[in-house]
Amino acid sequence: MADVVLKDIRKQFGATEIIRGVDLTVDEGEFAVFVGPSGCGKSTLLRMISGLEDVSSGELHIGGRRMNDVQAAKRGVGMVFQSYALYPHLNVRDNMGFGLKVRKVPVDERDRRVREAAATLKLDALLDRYPRQLSGGQRQRVAIGRAIVGSPDVFLFDEPLSNLDAELRVHMRSEIAALHNRLKTTMIYVTHDQIEAMTLADKIVVLRDGLVEQIGSPRDLYEKPNNVFVAQFIGSPRMNLLPAAEAKLISPTHALPASAVSVGVRPEHLRVVEPTTDSLSATVTLNEYTGAVTLMHVELPGGQTCLVVDDKRDMPPIGTRIGLTADKDNLHFFDADGRAVS
Amino acid sequence: MTRRQIDIIYRTCWTLALLIVAIPFVFPFLWMVSAGFKSTTEIFGTPSLLPRVWRYENFIEVFTYQPFARQYFNSLYIAIAVTVLTLIISSLAGYALARMRFAGAGLLMLFLVSALMVPEEVTIIPNFFLIRSLGLIDTHWPLILLPTFGPHGVMATFLMRQYFLALPRELEDAGRMDGLSRIGIWWRIALPMSRPALAAVAIITFLFSWNLFLEPLIFLSSLEMFTLPLALSNFNDSYGLPLWNLQLAATTLAVLPILIVYLIAQRQITESFALSGVKG
Repeated sequence: MADVVLKDIRKQFGATEIIRGVDLTVDEGEFAVFVGPSGCGKSTLLRMISGLEDVSSGELHIGGRRMNDVQAAKRGVGMVFQSYALYPHLNVRDNMGFGLKVRKVPVDERDRRVREAAATLKLDALLDRYPRQLSGGQRQRVAIGRAIVGSPDVFLFDEPLSNLDAELRVHMRSEIAALHNRLKTTMIYVTHDQIEAMTLADKIVVLRDGLVEQIGSPRDLYEKPNNVFVAQFIGSPRMNLLPAAEAKLISPTHALPASAVSVGVRPEHLRVVEPTTDSLSATVTLNEYTGAVTLMHVELPGGQTCLVVDDKRDMPPIGTRIGLTADKDNLHFFDADGRAVS
Repeated sequence: MTRRQIDIIYRTCWTLALLIVAIPFVFPFLWMVSAGFKSTTEIFGTPSLLPRVWRYENFIEVFTYQPFARQYFNSLYIAIAVTVLTLIISSLAGYALARMRFAGAGLLMLFLVSALMVPEEVTIIPNFFLIRSLGLIDTHWPLILLPTFGPHGVMATFLMRQYFLALPRELEDAGRMDGLSRIGIWWRIALPMSRPALAAVAIITFLFSWNLFLEPLIFLSSLEMFTLPLALSNFNDSYGLPLWNLQLAATTLAVLPILIVYLIAQRQITESFALSGVKG
């Protein structure tokens, strides 16, 4: 186990700066998730930690040791790739033991470690198969196994579940969580799926355009987003953003902060009530029944659209005028620059 | 009529059609083998597919007329040397051009590919002067070096480069994470994954070297140093007219390695033709 510390890390490709000064500490045994939209630099950051990309400037420390110029294989990190990156000409056993073979680990020791990792990941019966003979989930487990046998101090996962179907993704997600609980190793995980981020992470790092927008626990990010971007990126469906003046109608008891120009309220925090002068008036435009909840699309008098999530089965029909309210604790205010204000 | 019967009729018709189409390709080969067992008189007599008198001694005479065994060996070892060298150099160069970022890589590739546009006959005279100045006339060195580093080598490099371009980069990243150097990635990941391309290059190169005629004609003068294509053109009588029966018996022997290679590597050959389409 080791901690990972990034100090003003930057990455340039020619004149383009992809990572624009990231400061971050991932503690020993922590599960950190880098999340952000496509092109935000999360995979580049992970590759810099792994050693697959050079650090243009800044300091990278793993386990207290400066790693800027250390080769990827000597950083004590194991990486799981998005496309699994299994060697197609080697069977599962040889794929898992390949790194140890390169490092000239004795055959007995190599076999023992491969068998142990295979047992952990329930791959015992598949050791003699080739990658082409495995399902997507099995390939992903082999890719994880390949990282495990190296006994790394830090595991790096680069969108490992994005090639799997929805059902398998949920299953593998729980397996990765269980693996972290069992190994207690530091793990850094990159995803664009905020559900994966919320369910797996001890700490989420939200990135945008090569900068960290916010670092915190899933709960911190959900309940106390620093800015509009994080507020709308974390949480599904995304947070509704309305003019600040509407706050009085949503929650009449709430005092409006002086610098607030917009108010955010999550769809699941809006309640449907009879339309009164003390509630936000809206007209239902669409109901989407998903089983557990219904997503109700409404239009406000100003023309903005808004989403409401409700667990009632019978929602008001399309065209019905309704009122919307929310608890004041569930309102988020933002200033003209999109920063959160209290 | 049942579905099975229709299927049988359909297959039979197809087989017959393919057999008819195959005749123009197979007949000259069968005629060559047959003529190798005939006397010269019978070859030019009434046409027949099978010899009336089987002259097995033609195949012995081939070896006594000139040092054919030595010439056979020359062709074989030169073709193997050219194939091995071309595989090593084209896979290394192809990998570098496909995967390594260095200044002028694109320009270098363009420069190399432009060499393919120069007919080999145009370069034969400068090559002759070069080889002569190196003191390598009447040796096998030009027959090994010119195909390896000449236009054929460039074509092989281009073919390998195209194949390496398609290899997933994440596999190389995985190799680096496992502790492989650049040369280690080439040897332990890129090459094992490129077997179809290597097989294509090997087969094309072997055939190229095996069939090479112009270069041996220019650079070789001793019978002992001749390769098979040159030797085949040397079965002549005292008037310089071809001894057809010996020539065809020798040709039959000359195609044996190609037949063996084909029988062993039918699948790779099919893939090689598919792959060599990349160069077009």
